[in-house]
Amino acid sequence: MSSEPIERRVSYLGDRLRGTRCQICGKEYFELRDYCGNCGRKSFGKMLDTDLFYEEGELEVCTLVNEPTNKFTKLGSYVYGIVSFHGGKIRVPGRLTDHMVKCDEGIDFSTLEGRTVAPRFRRRYSVDKSDVIPTISLAFTFTDEYYPHQEYSVRKPGKEYDVAGIVGYGCYTSRFRIKEGSMQRAIPFIDEDAITAAVEAGKLALIHSGINSSQVGKIYVGSESNPYAVKPIASKVAQVLKLGEEEEDGVQGVDAIDTEFACKAATSVFKDAVSLVNYPKSDVHDAMVIGSDNSQSAPRDCPGGELDLFVGYGAAAFIFGKNDVIAEIEGWYSCTSDTPDFWRRDGEPYPMHGGRFTGDPAYFKHVRKAAKKLMERLGLQAGDVDYFVAHQPNAQFPVRVAKELGFKEEQYLPSLQVVRFGNTYSGASPVGLAAVLDVAEPDARILVTSYGSGAGSDAYSFVTTSHLVDKRPRQKLTVKYQAENPFLEYVDYTTYRRLKVGM
Amino acid sequence: MLSDREGYGIMRNLPAMVAAGRTRFGEHYEKEPEKLIEEAWLRASVEAKIERKDIEACYLSDYFLPITNKLGLEEGFLSELTELHVPMEVTRSFSSALSNACNAIVAGRQDVVLVGGIEKMTDRWDKIRDDLMLLEDPWSFYAGCTPEANHELMLRGYIKKYGLKGENLERLNTALAQVSVKNHLHATKNEYAQYQRKITLENVLNARKEARKPLGLYDFAPVSDGAATIILTSEKTAKKLTDRPVYVLGYSSATDFLTFPARDDLTHFIVTKMAMKNALKMAGVSLWDLQLAELYDQSTVMEMVSLEDMGFCEPGKAWSSIYESCQDYQGYYEIDGKQLFVNMNGGLKADGNPLGATGGAQTFEIFRQLRGEAGERQAKSDGELKHGCVLELEGFGTKGYAYILGSDKS
Repeated sequence: MSSEPIERRVSYLGDRLRGTRCQICGKEYFELRDYCGNCGRKSFGKMLDTDLFYEEGELEVCTLVNEPTNKFTKLGSYVYGIVSFHGGKIRVPGRLTDHMVKCDEGIDFSTLEGRTVAPRFRRRYSVDKSDVIPTISLAFTFTDEYYPHQEYSVRKPGKEYDVAGIVGYGCYTSRFRIKEGSMQRAIPFIDEDAITAAVEAGKLALIHSGINSSQVGKIYVGSESNPYAVKPIASKVAQVLKLGEEEEDGVQGVDAIDTEFACKAATSVFKDAVSLVNYPKSDVHDAMVIGSDNSQSAPRDCPGGELDLFVGYGAAAFIFGKNDVIAEIEGWYSCTSDTPDFWRRDGEPYPMHGGRFTGDPAYFKHVRKAAKKLMERLGLQAGDVDYFVAHQPNAQFPVRVAKELGFKEEQYLPSLQVVRFGNTYSGASPVGLAAVLDVAEPDARILVTSYGSGAGSDAYSFVTTSHLVDKRPRQKLTVKYQAENPFLEYVDYTTYRRLKVGM
Repeated sequence: MLSDREGYGIMRNLPAMVAAGRTRFGEHYEKEPEKLIEEAWLRASVEAKIERKDIEACYLSDYFLPITNKLGLEEGFLSELTELHVPMEVTRSFSSALSNACNAIVAGRQDVVLVGGIEKMTDRWDKIRDDLMLLEDPWSFYAGCTPEANHELMLRGYIKKYGLKGENLERLNTALAQVSVKNHLHATKNEYAQYQRKITLENVLNARKEARKPLGLYDFAPVSDGAATIILTSEKTAKKLTDRPVYVLGYSSATDFLTFPARDDLTHFIVTKMAMKNALKMAGVSLWDLQLAELYDQSTVMEMVSLEDMGFCEPGKAWSSIYESCQDYQGYYEIDGKQLFVNMNGGLKADGNPLGATGGAQTFEIFRQLRGEAGERQAKSDGELKHGCVLELEGFGTKGYAYILGSDKS
């Protein structure tokens, strides 16, 4: 049973790969220690806590595991080995993830050994559905493949703006795709889920922003595919990414909360994050919002299975703060009506939807309303907007609503990512916004309109600043990089369902 | 070091083995764990011609009976079985039990003790690898390791460290296969062995090919049930019971990190080096006084590496000695012109590996060999067989025990 106390301890060390370094002799340990074996008593109080989570290591030796122990059987065959950090000062066990070993493939281990790898936060192994989900970062991928190593360096805060805006962002999707017709969709590897994607996106946003993670006073995670009915994703993100001041007893000084409103769970709280940072007595320097989903759908031949043609996997994270803002917020408008066009009852594994009613009385009505109202308020015409980002459940809806609102292709196409990643639910319009931020010039106006079934829309108007261009080189894992990566792996329908359901 | 004590382990009383007994290793589906130890104990007691009441203490070992058989407080079961109420202690390996027993004899605290090892692994067939891995190295387990993978990583590290490629690499791989073939050959003459049949080089190599890994099915010791016992007494008492006691001349152990990747050396076992060095020092014999060695070949790699760690071969050279010796195998490894009889019982590979009892079978073998009672598999040495050693490891080299046994006190 993984709900034993040991689960808390293993994740506590293993999620962030926490270690200790002796400040006298430099010896390092993959564990939290109060003293160094070399230096003995004099090292007491001179041991520095370290994390290997953002580091790169080297796969020293490896072998194939094709008869895993029971909890790992769902992973199939995998490469397992020893990874060293800091020139061999620290060595840890680890398996290669995002790597499917073909049944008849011979492996030349010497072609894998000696290559650099990055730790990845993943599910550890499978457990009963009623158990706590065990996680670990003793899973690695090669840095010269899909996921490059990126250093997380904290920069000195620069220009302070009067009001808060976006100071950093990150978008994460996996390296696995299913291609059907003109549409490609991202699918999680078998050890990934909404939690791991949220952590990845948050990590990338921190790297991009260059802010100290301890400054983040609030973390919101919006999702409708949290593998838990009760237990937040946000707490995991806070712990792994060390958000807020870290206390000695392992508690993070951060407020963490999950939100749910179908696909607008994340966009809804952009304004809450901004307001919180703006409020002078809140003591929240920065706030992070993540939209993350392993978008759920019943298999194709089951009720609700129509969604199976569109669902994707991914997350986008945005950090709101006042220093070195890359996009200021001009204003927002939200609207809601009780329209049950898409729902999932508690305890049901897959959502249901209202067929054609998901279009007109639901999606179009709310998106149109929110976008129009905000433009009215701000006195904007379609021509004043450089980029339009709409919620994108499929390729048709956002194009139709964009045209209705008077937008042209060059305004809405840059944000249209659904054909490359599928519908990423809570991450859908956030991924679209990230794609636009990847390419926009300073002083560009971006109109984002999300949609959440149930139903409601949030519209935001952002105006970019010159910091957007300054910070751009910090992020290698852009939306385009992930969409057009040469290391993408395409799988068939059966594999897609297996990976989607996961461990 | 605080202590500057010289003369490692001065012995007041020399521990001596007077009898040994064991079961066949393998699957004993129909027998409870207690039945196995009873069988082994009865054989030893008949040989020693002693009674239950002569036993002053019992030192029992089992690696994980509480997990595999939900059998805790093993001493209680043993007490019921023997109807004895003497001190009894349980440890994880036969060698650790023997170590405690030796300490008691040396100190003069007890004079006649029973040392026994027992394990029953096959009952928990579907979960045994998980149990083994989790206990052996939990962090590696969490990362996806299997009981086999660490051996393979050690081999990969060995190849890398000694820069073996081309013909040398091929010879290394062949030598490892020969270790398995040789051990199976020895087991054909051992009535207690789990696998009393020959295998071929092709069997070993094909299994590797099939597994697509550096090591295959025939490179690893099996999962086994079994028990083994010996009766240990002081030298003085031993002489009353037998005219051919086997003395424990030296014994030592060492400990290493649980997490294999965290160790300094990933291609050798530091515990073997330290335990062997100290045991030899205690015994006052030199390495090549030993003609017999029972090594802990959980895998063929372990047998090879152990030859180096114990000092018989130079680091990075054992494969070559094995390869040469096995071209026309004469029953022993020939290392620098010297004979070394290794794993005459078939080793863990073919004799079987019921963890808590494994060391018992190793000790049993040296006991028989030194007394010239090994029957068909008796080592045919050019000289008189006088000394042998036992190496037992716990976990993946987390603990190492070395014993120097001799038919002669000198």
